[in-house]
Amino acid sequence: MRIVCVVKFVPDVDNFTYNYETHTIEREHSPMLINPDDARALGFALTMKKREPQTCIEVVTMAPRSVIPQLEDILRLGFDSATLISDQLFAGSDTYVTSKLLSSVIRKIPYDCILSGTHAIDGDTSHVPSQIAQSLDLDHLNFIHHIEEERFTCSSAVVEVEGESSYTTFEIALPALLSLTRESAYRLPYVRYKNLNLDVSERLHILTNEQLGFDPAEVGLSGSRTQVVSTHTKEHMTRRKKVVKSDDEGIEVIYTFLKSNGFI
Amino acid sequence: MVKEELIKQLSTILTEEQVNTDKDALYDAAADRYKKYAKARKVLNVPTPIAIVYPKDTEEVRKLLMFCNANRVNVIPRGGKTATEGGLENWKDTTIVIDALHLDEIIKIDTYNSQATVQAGVALQTLEDELQRVGYTTGHSPQSKPVAKYGGLVATRSIGQLSTLYGGIEDMVVGLECVFPDGHVSRIKNVPRRAGGPDIRHIAIGNEGTLCYITEVTVKIFRHYPENNRFLGYLVKDVASGIKVLREVMVNGFRPSVARTYSEEDAAQHFYHFHENKCVLLFMAEGPKGIVDATVTAIEDAVKKYHEGIIKQVDSTLIETWFNQLNWSQQDIDDEFLGMIDHDSHSGFTTEISADWETIPKIYHNVIKRIRKEFPRVQDLTMLGGHSSHSYLNGTNMYFVYNYKILCEPEDELIIYHHPLQRIIVEETLKMGGSMCHHHGIGKYRSEWTKDEHGSAYYMLEKLKEAFDPNGIMNYGTIFPQEEGLKYIE
Repeated sequence: MRIVCVVKFVPDVDNFTYNYETHTIEREHSPMLINPDDARALGFALTMKKREPQTCIEVVTMAPRSVIPQLEDILRLGFDSATLISDQLFAGSDTYVTSKLLSSVIRKIPYDCILSGTHAIDGDTSHVPSQIAQSLDLDHLNFIHHIEEERFTCSSAVVEVEGESSYTTFEIALPALLSLTRESAYRLPYVRYKNLNLDVSERLHILTNEQLGFDPAEVGLSGSRTQVVSTHTKEHMTRRKKVVKSDDEGIEVIYTFLKSNGFI
Repeated sequence: MVKEELIKQLSTILTEEQVNTDKDALYDAAADRYKKYAKARKVLNVPTPIAIVYPKDTEEVRKLLMFCNANRVNVIPRGGKTATEGGLENWKDTTIVIDALHLDEIIKIDTYNSQATVQAGVALQTLEDELQRVGYTTGHSPQSKPVAKYGGLVATRSIGQLSTLYGGIEDMVVGLECVFPDGHVSRIKNVPRRAGGPDIRHIAIGNEGTLCYITEVTVKIFRHYPENNRFLGYLVKDVASGIKVLREVMVNGFRPSVARTYSEEDAAQHFYHFHENKCVLLFMAEGPKGIVDATVTAIEDAVKKYHEGIIKQVDSTLIETWFNQLNWSQQDIDDEFLGMIDHDSHSGFTTEISADWETIPKIYHNVIKRIRKEFPRVQDLTMLGGHSSHSYLNGTNMYFVYNYKILCEPEDELIIYHHPLQRIIVEETLKMGGSMCHHHGIGKYRSEWTKDEHGSAYYMLEKLKEAFDPNGIMNYGTIFPQEEGLKYIE
């Protein structure tokens, strides 16, 4: 079986740099993490590879080159190859351009199924998976929280999708694009100690616009059909702090607090 | 002899009920608290023992050891299971654990001669409770007090939080009974002092189950004056300032039962209610009122003398409250274990060392500096600090404490986090002439440095092993370095 995992690297939300003039995240200067939903997709793919070692998994992402160490770690987990789409020309691309670039690469890879996350913790538009599916003329299901491993074949998959108040089980013909949620149980493991320095450079491919050949006007900020008008950071409420002693008075304060807030 | 046959034979030496081959119990017996995270996640990389056996008397211990010696079966002696350094971890395919569960009799409490005799499986708390009923105390109070048992306490050279007054377990043991692999039972008699050749108690005390099985212990007991306890606490500028005061009190001849200095980081996790991001210096004085009063005066004098390092005094009831909640209970241990099944975090690893007064601040400084500079996962540390908690006339200990987020597979936790940190601490300590293990014992994971720890005196240690355990059946891999064990370390 051949699986393509589309992955997004997102800024560490506790520590990122935002350009307030262009309203874009300076991904090159921000510590990046694998988007949690996408990590579940990777985790599921790896689970399938463990069940069926012949399974071939290719990871595709568009990101600055600063994510290369994270991509290398993904390869050290046993993924077969990774393609990084990276070019300064692509900086500031909206979801439309991103989907177009990703689709142009995936189109050339043989696959039975494409996996991705449903949401990203930065933009959270959830446009990209649907747009890739549209572009590749594939069916698409998102909010998947469970995939039946034993019924995951080259021609179909049985998946459970989380709705607002219920779970629905679908059988879907493959190839299709399946988007998982972070609530799914497919954990991406850490790289084992013995593999921490494994050389994976031969399995990592970097594609720039030189290989992809897009007109510069079609990509990046200039090719984007959507523009961010303004952005502001959330203001977090500062909670009041009260230190009490472990005596009767302190216990009373805590008891009253818990009770008045409905915890007990 | 194959495993099944060995188990069958064990059931003829003991009764079937005394031989435990339950799968979960054997998994639990494969490792101690050193590998608590891997154990909780069910990924232990060591073999499980073939059985846990529960002898009821010295004669049964003797028969078991002779059987194991004849059949080259590795033996791990076990008490309260609070070992933290791999001393209870199994590195052999054919191992039995001899558990002191049924050696649980308090044989005699002799208040007139200030000594008590217990079997190896008596929990420290049990004896302490009995003694307190008659106005006495063991004077021994490790954090593991509610769980630890006397056989293990003596075998690991345990120390308690009140050691600065009462001493370590080695200062308390009057006499003991132990069994060697060839079946010989030695009883070391109970006398206040003697000059009958080398003090052979110390062959058994601290042997960590590598030479003999301790079956019975006689310890000193002390008059207890809890009503006189007094506590003192201060915020201090830095670790070195706190240690200066500790030294002053000690070298002036005073013996507070608790005398501690905490780094800012360690203080923050112990004294959340008053630390103010400063180092903490604290004392407890106990004993007869006159001695307590004199000790408190001496502490106050020392604080005055080194006032430039003192920021302020803290309310003594805060110190008292903290001290009274310091011990682990079995529930705490179980809760921590369960927490590790669900969470990728560590509530603390420690490495405890000792050195003279002059050297200890230097080791502390060098270790912290080196960890911050060299440790590849320094960003995952959620706490790095330490405290001095046991002082002597000529020096003190340093308890390095470090917590970290576990961002690796459970199988790799120790090799990625604890081992590199421990290596830095041990290397810096040995380089400065200190001891790499103040009170947890060497266990299995510091055995690679046992020769460096002892230098030319390792000869004496090695000869003891050759003489008492020539077949190497006693707690393989503990204290004495084994090449075969490196696969579990590196």
